[in-house]
Amino acid sequence: MTAAVETTMAAGVPRRAGFVDLGAVLLTILTIIVACIWFFPVFWALSTSLKTDQEAIADGINILPSNPTFNNYLYVIQHSDLPIWYLNSTITSVGITFLVVFMSACAGYAISQLRFPGRMALWWTILASFMIPGTALIVNHFIIIAGVKLLNTHLGVILPLLVAPVTVIVYKQFFDGIPRDFREAAVMDGANEFQLLFRVYLPMNWGITTALAIITFIGAWNNFLWPFLAIQNEKMMTVTVGITQVQDTFGVAYARVIAGAVMAGLPVAIAYLLFQRRVTQAITLSAGIKG
Amino acid sequence: MIRNIVRAALLSSALLGTAVGGALAQEHVVWWDFLGGGDGIRMKKLIDDFNAAHAGKIDIQATTLDWGVPFYTKVQTSAAVGEGPDVMTYHASRIPLAVSQNTLSEITADDMKIMGLSADSFAPAPWSAVNVDGKQYAVPFDTHPIVLYYNKDKLAAAGLIGADGLPTGLDGRDNFREALKKLQAGGTKYGISTVTADGSFSFRTIYSYLCQQGGDIGVDGAWLPGDSPAKLANAVQVIADWVADGTNPAYTDYPATVALFTSGDSAMMINGVWEVPTMTDLKAQGKLFDWGAIELPVLFDKPCTYSDSHSFAIPNNVGKPATPEKHAAVLEVIKFMEENSLFWATAGHIPANKAVTDSAEYKAMQPQATYAKLAANMIYDPKSVNAGVASPLFDAAGNAFTAAINGEVDATTAVTEMKAALDAL
Amino acid sequence: MLKSKRNEALVAAVLVAPFVAIYGWMFVYPTIQMVILSLQKAPLIVSAEGQSSFVGLDNYMRLFKDPIFYTSIKNTAYFLLLTVIPGTAMALAIALMVTRLKGWGQSLILSMFFLPYVLPITVVYLIWDWMMNFQFGIAQHLIAFFTGKPVNVWRAIPWFMPMVALITIWWTNGFSILLFLAALRNIPKEVYEAAQLDGATRWQLFWRVTFPLIWPVTVLCLTIQLILQMKIFDQVYLFSQGGRTQVTMVMVQYIFESAFIKNDGGYAATVAVAMFVVVIAFSVLNFQALRAGGSR
Repeated sequence: MTAAVETTMAAGVPRRAGFVDLGAVLLTILTIIVACIWFFPVFWALSTSLKTDQEAIADGINILPSNPTFNNYLYVIQHSDLPIWYLNSTITSVGITFLVVFMSACAGYAISQLRFPGRMALWWTILASFMIPGTALIVNHFIIIAGVKLLNTHLGVILPLLVAPVTVIVYKQFFDGIPRDFREAAVMDGANEFQLLFRVYLPMNWGITTALAIITFIGAWNNFLWPFLAIQNEKMMTVTVGITQVQDTFGVAYARVIAGAVMAGLPVAIAYLLFQRRVTQAITLSAGIKG
Repeated sequence: MIRNIVRAALLSSALLGTAVGGALAQEHVVWWDFLGGGDGIRMKKLIDDFNAAHAGKIDIQATTLDWGVPFYTKVQTSAAVGEGPDVMTYHASRIPLAVSQNTLSEITADDMKIMGLSADSFAPAPWSAVNVDGKQYAVPFDTHPIVLYYNKDKLAAAGLIGADGLPTGLDGRDNFREALKKLQAGGTKYGISTVTADGSFSFRTIYSYLCQQGGDIGVDGAWLPGDSPAKLANAVQVIADWVADGTNPAYTDYPATVALFTSGDSAMMINGVWEVPTMTDLKAQGKLFDWGAIELPVLFDKPCTYSDSHSFAIPNNVGKPATPEKHAAVLEVIKFMEENSLFWATAGHIPANKAVTDSAEYKAMQPQATYAKLAANMIYDPKSVNAGVASPLFDAAGNAFTAAINGEVDATTAVTEMKAALDAL
Repeated sequence: MLKSKRNEALVAAVLVAPFVAIYGWMFVYPTIQMVILSLQKAPLIVSAEGQSSFVGLDNYMRLFKDPIFYTSIKNTAYFLLLTVIPGTAMALAIALMVTRLKGWGQSLILSMFFLPYVLPITVVYLIWDWMMNFQFGIAQHLIAFFTGKPVNVWRAIPWFMPMVALITIWWTNGFSILLFLAALRNIPKEVYEAAQLDGATRWQLFWRVTFPLIWPVTVLCLTIQLILQMKIFDQVYLFSQGGRTQVTMVMVQYIFESAFIKNDGGYAATVAVAMFVVVIAFSVLNFQALRAGGSR
């Protein structure tokens, strides 16, 4: 096989063997252009956030700020409740992540490895809950949480968001895939189920747990509808809700608003960029079970 | 380990909260308002002044939420679960609706005595608006009509300024329409800028024009009686004509209309009096042309201007009634605000407090003095549970009129749609 | 051994208890409560006696005659039309482009496409609201180029849904792109080699080889997008704020409005039940249709 054909195969699309494949080059350039267009809104937001308010609304198109400044960010940090919102988001997102991963690992393990009455019924309920739109339950979630006086609290925000069937299913399938030999050997050594789960099964692939944790964290951080309904008090808002719900009494300051938005999205963007592989893995895993 | 971190974070945020709040004996008053316009800056000053004067004793923690539906929805749901604020601004037009939803606490005669106020302190219209079935539910603060802002230089250039320095030749529907075209021909982008993206805001202007024809919006069970539908269609058509002529920009949001006026791209603007401080401040910084504000010109038969009222209300926090100390603090806050309503007048609003409006200082303020005479010709929302800001009437106007103003449907169809929506209530 | 069986059940009970507790309390119970509430006339929060009463199927009768309800279904369907197939097609196209790249180049390009997916909807909203700002938005230059003047896309009704759909595709495409990438990677080289030796063109290769092999994933993407977008609320709510909400109402938004704005808890529950039924029916139909189509 010639080198040309080999590279052809790597690219996945064939072409005539030659020195310079114009089609391929053009396609790559097109890819880069499309990617830049796709990314433009994010870039534009970053650029605007570094401009002064006057420059942001000035006539004409100024792609880059002429005098980049962090004043907008400083203003948002000092004069708005964004730092408190960050704290709230962190508390609720970490809480949800920890609880969801923990509960799902336990439940997924039990369904996978143990036999107990109601096992299949539980499994079918979980599968069925995919099709059911959780957002339709907002009314009753509100009534229930209000009834136990947990509105406006972190716990009240966390509770309805703990319903995460996907995580259980991924764990169950993961545990299913582990050869029974491990289990039998460990049982022979006298291990009980809890030790099996936490000392043997989970450690076999921390990657999956990490992946699920990250994707759960991102989902929790980004959730809008439920925190929007559950929180009445500006000091308890999550950052996702806060940036659109509170008016700036100093008129409309576009650059500042965008700076606030950038700050709100920064943690999850960083989480993604650092853990790209894990996020990808989590998505393919969770999609896999829907197939 | 994570649990420990969470616990630590919770603890530190709790400590932060108390540290920020100051001495533990201080009474914190949670305040919600929706004042985001030019008047919001004035209100912020009032709050800061209060906090300075009452440092260590009472501290107002103010939040400004989005005006309109978001504000009132939040108030409604949070009060129902006991999580509402301690005091809030509330539109008087909406009080019947709020009372029907059990959202407001009654203000007793004792409360009024403590604040040094009574029915006689206030002008009759706002006073009547805060009382439902003989009980008082809010303390009136101001009345705010809509006015016509104008760019003196541009109007003078078009020959529309009279000998007294005030606009002239604007009365009469066709005159006004021609005037707009003349202004535009003089080199301005738009003759006028009004909010055309939101029918519920334009409704104030439309309602004024309906009243100018002697029409009546009606009330529950008898909406738009007699020939009022035709008159309403006329009123809608007025604005639709301007948009069709191109003298009023289509689908324009509130901030854009203000920006168009202040930048000189539009010669006039119909907006509430609360943008007066915006203009005053800009002029003081040397960033604005010679401007003024007058009563809405009479385009039909008689002068009439829509107006609403701000008031202070205490939410009925179900299951969490205010402590006596909290209640006393809230009354302090309201009392302070009422005592300082002369300063509030610089926000453009007409204070509800009669002593203030009768005072010499108020009568000397400009442009307030110019438009003060419209007070005799104000019209309010009907007193109904279906009327007021963020009410079914408000909604119906938004849904019906945005389309008509921008030429999507004709005015008569829109009015029919509106009447149908109202009759279905 | 017998003791072990009971022991096993006990251990299992302990392990699933937290999950079942949450599931029961936050999923099963609200669903049942929702159905019961739909048979009542009640405000959202019952704070005093006599505020709620049993009215049987009255709410449902009202729902069947409610034009806004049908508008919300129509708008949701319109939105699905604008996002599901175009979005999936877009994702496939992007995946085909990205899969040709290698190493850190691919990583970089992929992040540029995927980053929007991890952003909260409110951040997406603020970014796009700014870009499309009627007076100062940079995209207005583009719009003016095509239509002659700036357009307030959030208030000019024919523009609203397409814009929201465009933004939704921009936001969520990353997910489908990843799935397509994984599927494309799984196609063995030999298949391409064989076809190439037979003299297939680029175009033929795509339609005859690639597309059929990734059909299962395509179906998966379509299904996931369909079910996901049926529940749309955030974008439509945020972008239609301050304007007329009725014309662009979608299903979940109608539930929200009935409950939290009109304070009509019973009716909101009715709309929610109706939505439940519509979504489940759609999902089942979708499942069957694609299973039938997929088996060829």
